[in-house]
Amino acid sequence: MISTELIQALLWGVANGCIYILLATGLNIIFGVMKLVNFAHGQLLMIGAYIAFTAATVLGLNAYLAILVAMGIVALIGVGVERFTFSRVLGTDKLNEIFVSLGLIYVFENAAVLLWGNTSQQIVSPLQGIQLSLGQIAIGYDRLLAVSIVIIILIALFLLLKKTKIGLAMRATSQKSGASMLMGINIERVYIFTFALGAALAGAAGALYGIIFPFNPTIGALPTIKAFAIIILGGLGSIPGAVIGGLLYGIAENTAVYFLGGIWQDAIAFALLIIVLVIKPTGIFGEKGE
Amino acid sequence: MNRTLVNSLGSIKREVVIFSRSQKFYLILAAMAIVMTLPLFLSNYVVSEVLTPMIIFAIYASSWNLLASSGQGSLGHAAFLGIGGFVSALIAIKLGIPPIIGLFLGSLLSAAIGFLIGLTCVRLKAWFLAMVTFGFSVIIVTIFSEFDDFTGAVMGFPTPPIVDRGLPFYYLSFAFAVISISIMYLVMKSKIGLAFKAIHQNELEAKMIGINTAKYRLIAFIISTFFAGLAGGLFAQSIRYIHVSVFAPYYSFLPLMMAVIGGLGTIEGPIIGSAIIVTIDSYLPRIDDALHGLMGSLFPAVSNVGPPLRMLGLGLFLLVVVIFAPRGVTPLIKKAYNYLRSSAKEETS
Repeated sequence: MISTELIQALLWGVANGCIYILLATGLNIIFGVMKLVNFAHGQLLMIGAYIAFTAATVLGLNAYLAILVAMGIVALIGVGVERFTFSRVLGTDKLNEIFVSLGLIYVFENAAVLLWGNTSQQIVSPLQGIQLSLGQIAIGYDRLLAVSIVIIILIALFLLLKKTKIGLAMRATSQKSGASMLMGINIERVYIFTFALGAALAGAAGALYGIIFPFNPTIGALPTIKAFAIIILGGLGSIPGAVIGGLLYGIAENTAVYFLGGIWQDAIAFALLIIVLVIKPTGIFGEKGE
Repeated sequence: MNRTLVNSLGSIKREVVIFSRSQKFYLILAAMAIVMTLPLFLSNYVVSEVLTPMIIFAIYASSWNLLASSGQGSLGHAAFLGIGGFVSALIAIKLGIPPIIGLFLGSLLSAAIGFLIGLTCVRLKAWFLAMVTFGFSVIIVTIFSEFDDFTGAVMGFPTPPIVDRGLPFYYLSFAFAVISISIMYLVMKSKIGLAFKAIHQNELEAKMIGINTAKYRLIAFIISTFFAGLAGGLFAQSIRYIHVSVFAPYYSFLPLMMAVIGGLGTIEGPIIGSAIIVTIDSYLPRIDDALHGLMGSLFPAVSNVGPPLRMLGLGLFLLVVVIFAPRGVTPLIKKAYNYLRSSAKEETS
């Protein structure tokens, strides 16, 4: 009896972990290429959820097609954010990036309140409430579909990074930005593309979040921290690490809720974060000191 | 350790002597005289709802600023504000000791916990540190709510008063602010402060010239969290109530806004920033109705557009300051003052 509940918790953990993997991967790509940490990344997720919600309700799009709309628009927002804010403080005091992120958090959260109101919303999916049951274990089709979408996006991302010219430019920039500039890579353009890509991943994560959970304008902060915990588990700048870290994290969170109770769900992220950082400041799989 | 202390005491002494002869000293005396006499001409409401918070948040923002001057940007200072507030009130109530002693014990405990968090943080890069401090402020909410039987945090409780609200408490907080900010000023001007600056600029280089960076970063943590705890104790006194909402991210981001908008790393920056932000927070709600009349039809989704519009404006203000005036508004005020003085001189001559 206990074991089926535990398996259930593990399954849900994997499904939740997938959303955070997308967010963490976006953060990781931006960090890897630009050496920039965007603390407002969770707010991009929140905006993505609202855009998908609007596309689904106002335009009547299928919830899963709305993911593409959310990705596109959040990527555009990302371009604006990079151009007008982060590109201006890049390379100055590291604290400035934190201050800019904080300003962005205020701007995004309150813009969302003004546009969409304070009430909780959820994207209506055609598969809502339908569950796949295997004996005593049940999992919603929405969660299963979310897992497969995340897998597809990650494969596409892998191909983009390994097989395309812009992917090559991104990898070169992440290793030595100065030398890449000398080799004729337009660093500015790589930065814009990278940030837009990271934002698009956050947008997709937001749309999936909105299908599975109810959301409001203030949900952004916790996913950011969870993404951070994942990055620290998986190592800064490593994408396979983010996948492993995301799965570990989702499972840890759901088993902790199972054993300790719901009140600990959010605290567990930080406890994990702090414990890992105390033991190994560069993350479990992280090798670079940067 | 002993020699550093002697050295820094020597440099502090030298600094005080130079300072007492400077023009700045008289400017500060004049400013203090104004701050002392101004409330006598203002209503009790303004004194306790605007001026007192301004002073308390000046201590709080200065404590954050001291930590940031060593390159450590905390996003969870509300944890220490709250610990100071809760512990000072709880000690006074449960042990029946005078609340003013509770205030010191609360600050000491805040510094002790700051020391423990600092131990975790001193090896971390800026962004991990920001996350860990933010995370700590969330964990502490869970802990205080979980042990509600002892802390009474969820419902909140009234704090035992030190002195009456209004003018007496205003002067008490002013005295605390003068002492705390002077101490922080002396620390930042001493060799310790120089080490903070070196670490902030380039930690690796600071290490290479022989600065024990972990030690100095820890010192910054202890001093900063002590004064954040003190500000928390005073804050709980000023509103006569303490509640778990004191740990909200809003109170973590407030000192950052104040210090950055006023001018990061300077002593006057957090004070000016606190004056600006508290003024905005106290007086702008009055235009909420007007704003709603003007803009309400644009945003039908919200019942009152005032608060989100103000917060949006605050976020934009922070972005503009960081991007276009990274040294805060203080240099702009100085420039305006110098310009006015020079044009006044031209007129008289």
